[in-house]
Amino acid sequence: MTIQATDAVLLDMHERMVRIRIFEEEAGKLMENGKVPGALHLYVGQEAVASGVMVHLNDDDHITSTHRGHGHVVAKGGAFKEMYAELYGKADGYCKGRGGSMHICNMEIGMLGANGIVGGGIPIAMGAAFAKKYRKTQEVAVSFFGDGASNEGSFHEAANMAALYKLPLILVCENNGFGEYTRQDAHQAIVDVADRAAGYGMPGVVVDGMDAIAVYEAAGEAVARARKGEGPTLLECKTYRYYDHVGVRGMGLSYRTDEEVEHWKQRDPITMLESRLVEQGILTKRKITNIHKRIREDAKQAIEFAEKSPLPDPSELLDDVYYVQA
Amino acid sequence: MAEAQLDTAQAERKLAYVNAITEGVREVLLEQPDAFVAGEDVAGAGSVFGYYQGLLEQFGPERVIDTPISEKGIMGLGIGAAATGCRPIIDLMFMDFLGECMDEVANQMAKMRYMFGGHAKLPVTVLTMSGAGMSLAAQHSQSLEAWLTHLPGLKVVAPATPYDAKGLIISACRDDNPVFVILNKLSLALEGPVPEGAYEVPIGKANVIREGTNLTIIAFSRMVHEALQAADQLKEHGIDAEVIDLRSLQPLDTDTIVASVKKTHRAMIVHEAVRFGGFGGELAAQIQELAFDYLDAPIGRVGAPFSPVPYSPSLEQSYMPNAKRIVAETRRLIGI
Amino acid sequence: MTAPLGIAVNPASGKDIRRLVARASVFDNQEKRAIVRRALVGAIHAGAQEVRYLPDSHEIARSALLEVEDALSAEAVDAPRTGSVLDTVAGARALADAGCGAVLTLGGDGTNRAFVLGWRDAPLLPISTGTNNVFPVLVEATLAGAAAGLVTSGRIPLAEAADRAKAISVTVEGEHDDIALIDAVVTAERFVGSRALLAGEMLRLALLTRADPAAAGITSIGGLVRPLGVDEDCGLLLELGPKGDPVAAPIAPGLYQTIGVEATRVLAFDEDVEVTGPCVLAFDGERERVLKPGQMALLRLARNGPWVIDVARTMRLAAERGLYRLDGAARSKRSAG
Repeated sequence: MTIQATDAVLLDMHERMVRIRIFEEEAGKLMENGKVPGALHLYVGQEAVASGVMVHLNDDDHITSTHRGHGHVVAKGGAFKEMYAELYGKADGYCKGRGGSMHICNMEIGMLGANGIVGGGIPIAMGAAFAKKYRKTQEVAVSFFGDGASNEGSFHEAANMAALYKLPLILVCENNGFGEYTRQDAHQAIVDVADRAAGYGMPGVVVDGMDAIAVYEAAGEAVARARKGEGPTLLECKTYRYYDHVGVRGMGLSYRTDEEVEHWKQRDPITMLESRLVEQGILTKRKITNIHKRIREDAKQAIEFAEKSPLPDPSELLDDVYYVQA
Repeated sequence: MAEAQLDTAQAERKLAYVNAITEGVREVLLEQPDAFVAGEDVAGAGSVFGYYQGLLEQFGPERVIDTPISEKGIMGLGIGAAATGCRPIIDLMFMDFLGECMDEVANQMAKMRYMFGGHAKLPVTVLTMSGAGMSLAAQHSQSLEAWLTHLPGLKVVAPATPYDAKGLIISACRDDNPVFVILNKLSLALEGPVPEGAYEVPIGKANVIREGTNLTIIAFSRMVHEALQAADQLKEHGIDAEVIDLRSLQPLDTDTIVASVKKTHRAMIVHEAVRFGGFGGELAAQIQELAFDYLDAPIGRVGAPFSPVPYSPSLEQSYMPNAKRIVAETRRLIGI
Repeated sequence: MTAPLGIAVNPASGKDIRRLVARASVFDNQEKRAIVRRALVGAIHAGAQEVRYLPDSHEIARSALLEVEDALSAEAVDAPRTGSVLDTVAGARALADAGCGAVLTLGGDGTNRAFVLGWRDAPLLPISTGTNNVFPVLVEATLAGAAAGLVTSGRIPLAEAADRAKAISVTVEGEHDDIALIDAVVTAERFVGSRALLAGEMLRLALLTRADPAAAGITSIGGLVRPLGVDEDCGLLLELGPKGDPVAAPIAPGLYQTIGVEATRVLAFDEDVEVTGPCVLAFDGERERVLKPGQMALLRLARNGPWVIDVARTMRLAAERGLYRLDGAARSKRSAG
């Protein structure tokens, strides 16, 4: 009756987390080496959140994401090839080079896009949840957003409406302690964003966002509640991004100390999960090495694919501004 | 023009603009099970303008939904629901409230399909109310169509007549793109022929509502009626004006405009919005780009002065463009 | 003689997954801050002058103290702020070193357990702002502060105001020791995860310091089979499993589950209970430690826990001694003489 992570689930979460980590590390290198245009916001450090939530979802459950969205696409089942191609701005990318990092999406797996506007995805996920209830499905919608977005009006309006209509929505606040370069204590007078849930009439819980199993259990309860028609949940995951707001080294601003980053890395979500998997005899160190190797190889091939993919033809510039009835 | 006039001729029944809106929405709710209406005071109150009255009773609270006063939320609801299989009709009570939800409109709704490489389809229709004339002052009287026509990805229509109101609402709701239907509050009581049942007024097709030979007046929304009155008055001055009701601003029926100007050699553009930076500037630019050699006079523009909409009736009356101003401006332009 | 009053607030209490599963109480941090402030007012009126507080990561204690700073001298003790349980453990030690005469704790059973890990015989006045609140008491903060203030100001001696609690000492082979105040539980789960102990079907063994049929938590299982009071010098050992007699018990607030009780035994002090992994040990309602296959742990019960100040008794003594009457101090001296 309670949610227990089976071996299969643990392996699945682990796979997703390692895929995110490797995808992002390689993406960071591509950006720093000037291989891809634009700005990438990397998800490294927060892998347990996307993975612990996403293992509960199906393709017909929808999510909205943030400017830091690659991890959500990977965890929802996105393919490296189309993802890297999109970062390169190539024709084979998920958005045919129209969106790039900040708008990467895959509608077929219920991924309603990264979003360049902080808080922009929250009302959209609420709308998706509304549609799911309207169409009397058992599906859910999940919106990922940060502590910074919890100060946007869009969060408050969507939270209020989700609670009012008892929508199957899970609001996942990835509290990484920073709104861009501004520390949380300089942008809100509270520490637990989950405290805001009470103001809208929904449950709010805090969970260790570095612990995939903790996220899995809490998200499982929230998703189950939503599927049963019991309404939305605000799930706050305390986490941390290892890299800068943009890119790896970013602008080199001294808004946080190396000690702080190191302190969080002591509780690295992947290392912690792997040590438990080894302790429980679910994986061996050797098998873990092989998993990393296999995924690294995937990434390498996907990057080669993206490199070779053609650039979009300028003659297609105006395609898809509007839907044209066939 | 032919198809509209034909349908109009068949329709013997007359209906007020407000009731034509209701009929349009009702037809959509009847034919599209995935369509619902959501907005502030749309259900219990039947809209503050009355155009949803009876729909709650007919379709129930699951399909006619009162929302909190949360325009970001309402617009987000429309976007998210449209992207995931519904066909929402979103009511933005006053167009002036666009400011409360401009991110959802400009950055999300308009761009989602393009940003996603064509993988998203957003069949959402927004009904919203524009226009001055009721002493509702600066925040409930604006005509902000230029804010919307500047956004690739949106379609924008502005019906002037009851017939077009119903037909354009049905077309908008059958379209798989986001469409704004800009209604006009001073036209709510205006009566005109409206056929029963569902019919479409095509989006992107202007209506030559009066034929003429030596001036083209281009207008939309309520200004169409002021333009028609002006055309009557201009006749006394020897001017035989053609009047084009644009109906659709985006996409714009440039062909009809250009064809008319090539015939009449003069163009007068009329809208209720502030003239400076208004949609008329775009129309004037396109006319001179496409028909410069045919023009016998500078292109005229009538719009509101560069001021917020005032409250006092005396100020508001002098603020709003009308037939008299159109006549005066035309005579000044042509020198008669 | 007066001693400083200690304050330890757990900012993380009252926020975990049990809000979802069982609709357990929510204690947002504004509420915790208000509780601290009310307790401080009670303490000031009881004669408290000095406060030493644990610098929690949410600055709850500090922000409450700012509101009454004229009436008290307050100082944070030197303790880490990692946002983890270690803050409470290290903070407890620091409060002990500061010589606190009584400590107000805000949290649930888990918070007090962590505190006692750092300061075994702490003089506690636990105010419940947690999920499982068997150890702390539901009491108006003003009076909790008053009782604690009466103790720190020396006006009611600790020995009169408080009783010593039972505790379960946990020794884990090859690792650091641990403690439980209400219950130590063995579950067949594999991970600590979200910590909450919710899977009744996985429970295997429970050692209880008290078996309270009027409480929510694992203690209720024993309470509904064989009640055992805080004053009895023994514990209760339950063997649990699917084959046992089914008992419907509220194993968490708002959550009844059917638990199979295979055996019940009153356990004397200093009688060891041996546990072997693989399993997870849960203390006071939360999964805490994973025992690896073959790893051993010993559970031992004794009355060697913290001192717990009884608010009702303390206030009754204060009333009897006229401590709140305007000439109360003089009368108290006379009657004592």
